[in-house]
Amino acid sequence: MINTGKLASVLTLVVVFLASVTLAQTDPGVQSASRGTGATIINPANDPNGFTAFFQDGLVRFQELENVSNATNVGLGPRFNSNQCSSCHAQPAIGGSSSAVNPQFAFAGSSVAPDSTTPYFITANGPTREARFPFFFNSNGTADTSAPNGGVEDLFTVTGRSDAGSCSLPQPSFAAAQAANNIIFRIPTPVFGAGLIENLDDSTLLKNQATNLDNKFGIAGTFNHNGNDGTISRFGWKAQNKSLHIFAGEAYNVEMGITNLLFPQDRPLPGEDQQGTGLPANCLNLSGSGYPEDTNNPPATGATGAAVLDDVSAFANFMRFLAPPPTAGVVLNGSSVSASSIAAGSSLFSAIGCATCHNPTPGTTQVSNFVPALSKAQVPAFSDIEIHHMGTGLADNVSQGGAGGDQFRTAPLWGLGQRIFLLHDGRTTNLITAIQDHASHGSEATTVEENFFDLNSTQQQEVLDFLRSL
Amino acid sequence: MTRDGFAGLATRLLQIRGINMRARSWCSLLILTLSVSLLAWGQDAKPQSIPNSGGDFSNNMHPETKVPPGVILVKGAWSSASDSVTPVPEGGSVTNNVFNNQYFGMSYALPSDWTEKYKGPPPSESGRYVLAQIRPADTFKGRDRGSILITAQDMFFTPLPVTNALELINYSKDHLQADYKVEMPPTQTKIADRAFTFFAYWSPVAQLHWYVLAAQIRCHAVQIVLTSRDTKLLESLILDMNKMKVPAQNNPTASTGSAVPVCIKDYASDNNVSARVDPVFTEHRFNSVPVRITIDKEGKVKHIHFLSAFPDQAKAISDALLQWRFKRYLQNGQPVEVETGIMFGRALLPTTAAAASAMTQ
Repeated sequence: MINTGKLASVLTLVVVFLASVTLAQTDPGVQSASRGTGATIINPANDPNGFTAFFQDGLVRFQELENVSNATNVGLGPRFNSNQCSSCHAQPAIGGSSSAVNPQFAFAGSSVAPDSTTPYFITANGPTREARFPFFFNSNGTADTSAPNGGVEDLFTVTGRSDAGSCSLPQPSFAAAQAANNIIFRIPTPVFGAGLIENLDDSTLLKNQATNLDNKFGIAGTFNHNGNDGTISRFGWKAQNKSLHIFAGEAYNVEMGITNLLFPQDRPLPGEDQQGTGLPANCLNLSGSGYPEDTNNPPATGATGAAVLDDVSAFANFMRFLAPPPTAGVVLNGSSVSASSIAAGSSLFSAIGCATCHNPTPGTTQVSNFVPALSKAQVPAFSDIEIHHMGTGLADNVSQGGAGGDQFRTAPLWGLGQRIFLLHDGRTTNLITAIQDHASHGSEATTVEENFFDLNSTQQQEVLDFLRSL
Repeated sequence: MTRDGFAGLATRLLQIRGINMRARSWCSLLILTLSVSLLAWGQDAKPQSIPNSGGDFSNNMHPETKVPPGVILVKGAWSSASDSVTPVPEGGSVTNNVFNNQYFGMSYALPSDWTEKYKGPPPSESGRYVLAQIRPADTFKGRDRGSILITAQDMFFTPLPVTNALELINYSKDHLQADYKVEMPPTQTKIADRAFTFFAYWSPVAQLHWYVLAAQIRCHAVQIVLTSRDTKLLESLILDMNKMKVPAQNNPTASTGSAVPVCIKDYASDNNVSARVDPVFTEHRFNSVPVRITIDKEGKVKHIHFLSAFPDQAKAISDALLQWRFKRYLQNGQPVEVETGIMFGRALLPTTAAAASAMTQ
């Protein structure tokens, strides 16, 4: 015989449980519908100097596969993280961040890196990553915390490739670094809208900083500065790069090992550089072309138009002329979220203090000498371009320029709706976790994180919906 | 000669001499041996073994020491002081659920079920301190959560056009963002037998309320910011603040009971400095370096506190400041200690100037 009392209790519990599940906020996740991300900001009808051709040229080069030697595109290695810009900057369109399928997972043992092994942190569906050791190793194999390293430890080598001659190099000790808790990761920063950020005048950013000084959230950021001229630098996870040219040149050299006009030497690992050993002679000038491997293409080479540029300039143009990611509607659990919910989320985002750092519109660009579309344009980046203390939870103990081991540039949130991996190391795919991770010892964002969780469930959901609309 | 070259030569020798099959076998072995030897000789043809530990390499899969998790070991510009005894504004802590700050002479027993889960960030180059950030503990049973943020703004360095806590709160009210509505304009009140300015505003969309208490304590505007959707909770927290210990308004003393230095903004101006040595910097940096100093009764620098500086900057500035001499400051005819601030490095753009500059772009 059924005990009706017990049944009622159980049913009540089930209803309460289901109700709580329904009320609990949910990250709507990556929005799959095409938003047209990846288009150029240039209006072809208002491009008096013909920069559209430079964008198209950069787009093509951004996708070119690089080889070590004996091919059209040479200079790869001797160490590298990938062989193609667009393999890392892929999601949701070329110029973005890590895609759902990690191309790095297929490199080791293939013709790309025949003698390399896949590092433990590279997985088939994990984020595309670069690795850094915060500290150099001692001779006994422990991390020397008095000797900061922080440089990129490239994942793969050209060893065993048919186009790499006799060059043979070991991979850095990733497993030992894991054992010593001496390894951190970075994922690619999306570069949509980068030309707008590049074209913001310093005074605009300083005004924003001054305006925000009186916030009641405990936030007080600063700027990273370019070591050459002292002006505000703005690209990269720690705003360590001044311009798109520098950003592209450094990536070409560090991520792919290709020397260029801005970084003209083959790059040893940080420890090889520190200890003065450098790269072995048989791993230098592998392309056989001399240095830099990427240079201009004068008309005598047959190049015309945009093709006369070096690759780095072409990459910079591609990034410069990429439009900001369009905003769009959001689908949550198969249903479209109302526009009013997204609008409410936007207001909440500002009210609880997120917008103090993730400034929706850090300003209007200065006059551009490239294209009218970059002139006097609003920059809906959701970033103040400042660096902030983000606490022990996110700190990576890597210093870049004036940014310390716990300081990061406010990540621009435009395009967040179609980002898969979140935070600087791609540690999560869940927006709620990413928000929680803003709070830790020493973080400027702790109070704002608490404000988010002070909201009721509906309000929290509206904020999440709004974020995925970006 | 290449490896192919050696093997080819041996094969040709065999063909020339017409050697029998057994001999051919030996010769094949010879070729193999030669090839292997050459592989070994030409080390560049074989993948290198893992190098000895050091630099980017380690053979130690079981290190006795690991990089401690959750510790910031590589710092940028950070706070530091010439000694570890003299209290500094950021030196407070929550111990046994009581917030104590010797510099400000403050003590505040947290309400039950509230805790400081995370400590605040280091002081900023604009003179902003997060002294404590308190939130409900896991045991909290209230209807709505909330937070208590205790901050201090060093009035020596603020780029805002204000000189004290009251002006700061008025500035806040006058520059409130469109997201918020004023609930209670700045009003004088008394908390823990001390005058505070109270200001309240709220966000209609978030239904969150901010109750702000501010007082001028020892060269700083100390603000206690309480936030919650529940106004009854906020009111109870405000009432609870009456149990807080704060220094008397007209008789500021350190928690030790001794008199605190007199606060004088810009005391390190030309008229008061009788001997000055400029710091010799070893690196070209672009940050602002706010430095708070205590000058003793003899006019010597007694204590140096860097709110935000790289270690090389702190060393260079300390070496210089210890050679500075000041005119003695007299109060009622008696020399007294002075606390003042000096900004080295890049000056912060005053808020008003920043706004004007951007408007002209």
